[in-house]
Amino acid sequence: MVQASLGKSSRALTEPYGPLDEDLDSIRERAAAAMERVQRERAELWERLGDTATKRGWNVCRAAGVEEGLEYVCNVASAAEAPRAVRSDQDVFDSMPVDAALGAQGVETAVMSQDGGSSRAELKNMAAMAGVGITGVDYAVAETGSVVVLPRAGVARLASLAPPVHIAIVRPHEVLATLDDLFLFRRLAYYEGDRNMGSYLNFITGPSRTADIEQKIVIGVHGPKEVHLVMLDEEKVG
Amino acid sequence: MAEVKTKEFVPASRRAVDNPQLQAALKRAGGGFDSARMEAIEELGEERWQELRERARRIKEHTLENLDYYLELLYNRVTANGGQVHFAADAQEANEIISELALSRGAKTVTKSKSMVSEEMGLNHSLEALGIRSVETDLGEYIIQLAGETPFHIVGPAIHKTKEDVSELFADKIDRPGLVEIEDLAETAREVLRNDLLQADMGISGANFLVAETGTLVIVTNEGNGRFCTSSPRIHVALTGMEKVVPSLEDLAVFLRLLPRAATGQRLTSYVSMVSGPRAPMEEDGPEEFHLVIVNNGRSRLLQDEKLRGALSCIRCGACLNICPVYRKVGGHAYGWVYPGPIGAVIDPVLVGLDKAKDLPFASSLCGACREVCPVKINLPHMLLTLRSRLMEGDEEGGSKATLMDSAMGRGYRTLMSSPAMMSLARKVGRVTQVAVARKGWIRKIPLPPFDRWTRARDMRAIPKESFRDIWDKELSKENAQPSQKGRKGEKP
Repeated sequence: MVQASLGKSSRALTEPYGPLDEDLDSIRERAAAAMERVQRERAELWERLGDTATKRGWNVCRAAGVEEGLEYVCNVASAAEAPRAVRSDQDVFDSMPVDAALGAQGVETAVMSQDGGSSRAELKNMAAMAGVGITGVDYAVAETGSVVVLPRAGVARLASLAPPVHIAIVRPHEVLATLDDLFLFRRLAYYEGDRNMGSYLNFITGPSRTADIEQKIVIGVHGPKEVHLVMLDEEKVG
Repeated sequence: MAEVKTKEFVPASRRAVDNPQLQAALKRAGGGFDSARMEAIEELGEERWQELRERARRIKEHTLENLDYYLELLYNRVTANGGQVHFAADAQEANEIISELALSRGAKTVTKSKSMVSEEMGLNHSLEALGIRSVETDLGEYIIQLAGETPFHIVGPAIHKTKEDVSELFADKIDRPGLVEIEDLAETAREVLRNDLLQADMGISGANFLVAETGTLVIVTNEGNGRFCTSSPRIHVALTGMEKVVPSLEDLAVFLRLLPRAATGQRLTSYVSMVSGPRAPMEEDGPEEFHLVIVNNGRSRLLQDEKLRGALSCIRCGACLNICPVYRKVGGHAYGWVYPGPIGAVIDPVLVGLDKAKDLPFASSLCGACREVCPVKINLPHMLLTLRSRLMEGDEEGGSKATLMDSAMGRGYRTLMSSPAMMSLARKVGRVTQVAVARKGWIRKIPLPPFDRWTRARDMRAIPKESFRDIWDKELSKENAQPSQKGRKGEKP
């Protein structure tokens, strides 16, 4: 089908292409070296993430502990005057009980998971009605000030998209140095995971924006207008 | 397929140049993008930028040389991920594939994020003819759709509109009068489009890159509508030209550093979304079906053309538009088809037929700025020259653009330049005849057709009393007369 559409017959590559010829052992080796570097430089990367994220439009909260993080989340929710919040179902919330904290100030937090008995249509509606969406992250990239979220069971795509305010909670072990690190680790995950890397990967780098009218930058078009990065440093690397 | 008006380039350009409002918008637009680009590159460092450009060029060159291999790999991996791949030979076939998908799934409303390929296809019209609502959700595209126009710029489709224009459109077309500030206009688009973004049956996106190795579609966006279109509807259809493939996931890092900087001067866009198939069974949201429509629509002609193939490396950043003295004067609509600017002047003639776009390769002063700014180092001036030479020589498709007069003048020039005796004679004749028109060493106007065309927009140097050749001969004969007395310049006495 491909050849037919190009009017050509299939053939081998004109020259071998390095990355595609690499075997799994070599990818593992490189990934292990990258991970070692990232761990060694963690304190520095943590610092750098906060700086680049600020430049890219995140409101950054460097929280020394859970209490501080929760207090920040509560302040954001009350400033947003949001009666309802949604969150994903991720392990970061095991140590950071946002439901209870927000509940104490009258904000109802719904978990976007079908496990709770809601249908997909109901989950979508929850996200559309919420004033704040709270998620963990899978990676953060210091180079770009981005968080990376891999949607899956428990991690709805709309939780970080539909509400006008998004709060992302990041921990030091999630920080990588560069885009190269990220794609190396995702490649490793793809080949180790039986050629499955999940249906979606989302980089989020600051708030939604446009410059489509007179090239004037306006923050918040279809996605969140306000994004907060809570840097939860319980490991005390910072 | 979108209407082809490339034959109108000359009159359309003239209208654009005479339109003061458009000239003001162009002045604002091009400069803004370009200074942001330069600032972002400066921050990264020139050396690093050049290294990235060269890597990108090599990756694209390798991929294009082996495009059949990579498209097959992509096909296999997308299919293995649970997606469906469709190949469309041309715009009509691509429209049919999408119409068939929309009709068979009972889609009533389709939300679209930006896709230049869909502009090639005239997709919105094709869907609307079937009674399916097709809603552009990128703010710039939405404005253009309301205005019934085509994009003015690859990155900023509506940069030719003022906020007053948009305000008037919102009042007339969606009954939202009285909006003055840009923030309010953007907020209104958010409100108006939100329901469609959440409730549409089908979402259509473009593609910035396709990773063959993992079967992954990559879209680079800022507003968030692209995330909605790929996340909320039951069906996601991605449209792409077949040249967007890169081999490996790790190659992507190079292009993600280049594209936002070259396009808008951003270090990274707000969102980069990577789709590797439909949602898994346990996921909370995401489309049940993922379709990738790979469109040829003339691209295989570019691929087989060794001199122009490099134009398929284009990552649609728009940097060559922003820097081009012609685009900055005539704007995007004058080019008459989907892709304006230097890149459009190369690819439009191949995609729509050189015979229909004979003026486009001449829409350049060959200043070379486009080549300098191109993040993947496409040699656009060289390609424009290639097309010009083909037009002059004529080809099987289009016939020659050259008139009898052009050919006669070309032949005359060649004879003149290849014979010293003829040159010398012409100089002598010229020196005598120019007395009537030359003033202070310049000729402002040649009153003799067809030569008068040369001086319509510029002055010409008059032929000097003594030519370089005359001076040379004179000096040489002096030197020969007294060979050993002074020694040659630069030699020790």
